[in-house]
Amino acid sequence: MQNTRTEAPGGHPSSYLLPLLQLADSALPTGAFSHSFGLETFLERGLVHDEKTFAVWLGQFIHTQLTYSDGLAIRLALEAGSMDELRQLDAMLTAQALPRQVREAGVTMGARMLHIASVILDSSEIEQYREDVGRGKCSGHPALAFALAGRSLQVPLPELVGTYLFSTATSLTQNAIRGIPIGQDAGQRVLRQVHPDIAAATERIAGLDRGDFGATAPGLEIAQMRHERQRARMFMS
Amino acid sequence: MTAAQPADPQQPTGELRLTVGQRGGRGIATSQYHQGALRVIRPHYLDGTGQVAYTIVNPGGGYLGGDVYDVDIQVEDHARLLLTTQSATKIYRTPGDPAVQHTRFRLGPGASLEYVPDQLIAYRDATYRQDTVVELAADSSLVMCDVVTPGWSPDGQQFRYEEVRIRNDIYRDGRLLALDNLLIRPGDPDAPLSGMLFLEDYSHLGSMLVVDPRVDADLVRELQDLLAPLDPGGQLGISLLNGPGFALRALSRSTDTLNTLLHAAIDLLRHRWFGQQPLNLRKY
Repeated sequence: MQNTRTEAPGGHPSSYLLPLLQLADSALPTGAFSHSFGLETFLERGLVHDEKTFAVWLGQFIHTQLTYSDGLAIRLALEAGSMDELRQLDAMLTAQALPRQVREAGVTMGARMLHIASVILDSSEIEQYREDVGRGKCSGHPALAFALAGRSLQVPLPELVGTYLFSTATSLTQNAIRGIPIGQDAGQRVLRQVHPDIAAATERIAGLDRGDFGATAPGLEIAQMRHERQRARMFMS
Repeated sequence: MTAAQPADPQQPTGELRLTVGQRGGRGIATSQYHQGALRVIRPHYLDGTGQVAYTIVNPGGGYLGGDVYDVDIQVEDHARLLLTTQSATKIYRTPGDPAVQHTRFRLGPGASLEYVPDQLIAYRDATYRQDTVVELAADSSLVMCDVVTPGWSPDGQQFRYEEVRIRNDIYRDGRLLALDNLLIRPGDPDAPLSGMLFLEDYSHLGSMLVVDPRVDADLVRELQDLLAPLDPGGQLGISLLNGPGFALRALSRSTDTLNTLLHAAIDLLRHRWFGQQPLNLRKY
């Protein structure tokens, strides 16, 4: 792996780096630790049971649902020309989440992400989105809240999308560490292993069109639906 | 054999427009138009409830690359339409442009549509895009299904098609209620078809979308309990939509198993909501 480093002009980090790191922190209190997005159904079925099988699951999750819903939504949000377009994206994010628990995860994590983004940043779009959510005009979704933060900070698209995907992968890995369970070092190995997947997904997202929005993988979706009926759950989705 | 007609770039390969209204207690076509490789055969009334049944026919027998099919169906206030197809939708090889079908369903207040097409069979090297937009009133009733098979190829191997995408955008009272986007690209190494997030070792995918003011969490549970034992070796998921409706997905190993499952759901709903007997399409 090549390690080329580029210096930011003036010797200090880019203005967006620290707020972005803060928003992407796996300890960010969005409630992500209680959502497995269907992973728990695969644990229950024994299909995910160790480091290796979790790495396979995570790679495919990144390349399916995460790419076509959250990832593409972030790109479309950066391209949006008006608040109405952003509201439309909010409606699309809610509508494409057919499994109820995934939709509800979006709403609760979206509200938390918006609250935190509002603490960290001074952005009229984030305040407007919060107000829309508060008044029931929008449902709220963490990807859109994150994208608005990115708009405000003027983060380049690949950095913003890559950061979001990696942050989601980190939360899911933390959940896998507790849920499977696997060791902390195994979790770090899996996270390192999905770097190329995140790079490839980020690149793919740049080339998708609106018709691709919400494309999902049927097995994953079924697992997310079946989770509603699963006994003895650690996670809310 | 007839010589190939020069294709008119403005004209879809097949076009069908149908408006069904309620007259004298039963559904009848109040306007109808077809052009090219799409038409409907004479309507039937399968029972005494006044629900009219139309069958869509593709006289060409299958879709080719660059084909564009355009379907626009309107069900007026309180009319009830059952729509099916004469046979499986076959997508042949599509070198160059994909085969495309655009469908629009509009349902008025109190109107209902049961859309139960035959399965989709994509041949080797086929690319197919199906976009359906449904516009419902708050008290319209929608039941629609899809069955996607592993396709067909001369060497008997499954999943040799390039890409199948089936997208349904459902609006209720002007609000986007559900965006159901299924994308199957068998050659994509990053999301392998046999992977646990996709099809595992199943071959057939069934899905169903239902929107009706009478859908609630109890009905979803009831259906789950009724349907799961019908395909114990399969995978089934049902979940409530963001409003009165549900989505169903099922993975199985045959079209028949999926049809058994989907028809059990259809039959429960049509009996409970409309007092109708089980659906018998009398196709064979």
